[in-house]
Amino acid sequence: MPEMSNKKKQFNEKDYEILLAEMDKTAKLLVRRDLELNRVNAELDKKIYQLKEDENKLKEMNDVLEIRLQAKTRELRENLSSLDHQIGERTRKLENSKVALMNILEDFRKQKILTEEEQKKNLAIINNFPDGLLIFDNENRLSIINIKAKEYLGISQMDYLYHESLSAENIPEFKNLMGIIGKDIKNVYKQELVIGPELIIEVSVQEYSEKGIKYGKFVILHDITREKKVQSLKSEFVSIAAHQLRTPLSAIKWTLTSLLDGDFGKLNDEQMKYLGKTNLSNERMINLVDDLLNLSRIEEGRYIYRTTVASMENIINAAIKSTELKAKEKNIKISVKLDKNLPDIVVDEEKIKLVVQNLIENAINYSQKKGSVNITAKNDADKRELVFSIKDSGIGIPEEQKSRIFSKFFRAENAVRAETVGSGLGLFIDKNIIEAHKGRIWFESSLNKGAIFSFCIPYDKKDEQFFDKF
Amino acid sequence: MAKKILLIEDEEVLSNLLNRKLEESGYEVTVAFDGEEGLAIMKKQKPDLILLDIVMPKMGGFEVMENMNRTPGLELKQLPVIVVSNSGQPVEIDRALELGIRDYLIKTQFDPQEVVDKVKKILG
Repeated sequence: MPEMSNKKKQFNEKDYEILLAEMDKTAKLLVRRDLELNRVNAELDKKIYQLKEDENKLKEMNDVLEIRLQAKTRELRENLSSLDHQIGERTRKLENSKVALMNILEDFRKQKILTEEEQKKNLAIINNFPDGLLIFDNENRLSIINIKAKEYLGISQMDYLYHESLSAENIPEFKNLMGIIGKDIKNVYKQELVIGPELIIEVSVQEYSEKGIKYGKFVILHDITREKKVQSLKSEFVSIAAHQLRTPLSAIKWTLTSLLDGDFGKLNDEQMKYLGKTNLSNERMINLVDDLLNLSRIEEGRYIYRTTVASMENIINAAIKSTELKAKEKNIKISVKLDKNLPDIVVDEEKIKLVVQNLIENAINYSQKKGSVNITAKNDADKRELVFSIKDSGIGIPEEQKSRIFSKFFRAENAVRAETVGSGLGLFIDKNIIEAHKGRIWFESSLNKGAIFSFCIPYDKKDEQFFDKF
Repeated sequence: MAKKILLIEDEEVLSNLLNRKLEESGYEVTVAFDGEEGLAIMKKQKPDLILLDIVMPKMGGFEVMENMNRTPGLELKQLPVIVVSNSGQPVEIDRALELGIRDYLIKTQFDPQEVVDKVKKILG
């Protein structure tokens, strides 16, 4: 201590003052430091506040961001689900399209199979057709030949139905057939080809086309062996039947006419009258048998037989002559008016005469006594036809029976009443004869006012198949 | 001298009627009732004309004509034949015409007088 005191004692005033001043300085410094600290503190506070603010702001921003994020996420999620949906939809649609496509493909496949089957079927039909069929292309080369055709022609080496365009003319088995149809496969219709005693073939050629496009021709070989046999049997039968029927009829006719001619002595009036009537009845019977014969010949298709150049005038006159007796009996006047320039016609003269005779007989039979019959024949130069007409003053044809007047065995009611005997074949035969000559037959009539029957025959005979029907 | 006619016809009534008519017209008639008989008669004694039926027993008309054409002196070209038949189908008529007949008469369409007229036309 002493030191201290010493020291103290050592302090002089000056020192004190210095100390004080130092102390002041230090106090100031402290204050200042305090102030500064305060300032720093305040500053810090401010900073802290700011930081807090910033933190809050950040927080706020964070919240906003959070919200946005959530919104975005939601949006995204939504988008995603919508996308999912869309993709699902697309996928479904694609699936559907695929199925549809598969269906279409399947349909196509089925269609193809069907078409192929159809084609096979068609070929099978052609191949198994009961007629022989040969199909030629536009170059007249054989492309298809079926089983029957091979059988008929005696071809064994051709195994296939299809052929790569074959020239038929070089094959020996085709020789007979080619003789009929020719290299150029010309159109023939029902031509007979006799292959052997037990095989007769009918050959026809037909073009085949669709909507104007020609694909070629097919040749049909139809076996008519049986028909030919039946035809000849029928012909034989008719010939025998006609002979059997005609024998007694001709014996009666000859006896009656000899009696009427006075070959067995002169007859008295009554005998003449009854024998005359009997003779007429017999003539009717003869006509009936002839009609039946004609009918069977028409049905056999060999009725029109011999055609010659004939004069219509001669035919009419001959027909009138053969009906003279009947006309006289009923006191019917037959007048004839013919064009002066009547052309000749190429016809089966006997048959046309039969038509004219039938029509005259009808006109007489169905007219009252003292009636009139007018015959005309005209040249229709425009149509190049000869037109025959016969007009009577008879009973006429009932309206409702007109459509059947040309039918086989048909007789109109009033005709049956007026004339009990008649086969109902006359007009049927007439129609067949006229149509076989490529002509037409028609009539106009009203009940009780007579009838006009007409027919026309073309007189140009260039057509090769003029009588093709018979 | 009367012209000789050979009538070959199996139907008795027709044969008698025709025979009678022909004799009345001054012809000398020989009658045969079938083809075989007719052929035998014409070979022995050649007639001036033959009336020939077609459908007959033993031998038919066509066979008779074919036989005649094979027999010298009896060919249809020289010996006129008129067919008098019940049947007259066009094929038959054509066949007979081809063989050389002069005429073909269908019985139901001609009476005895008309047949005699045809004979007269040929023999005069």
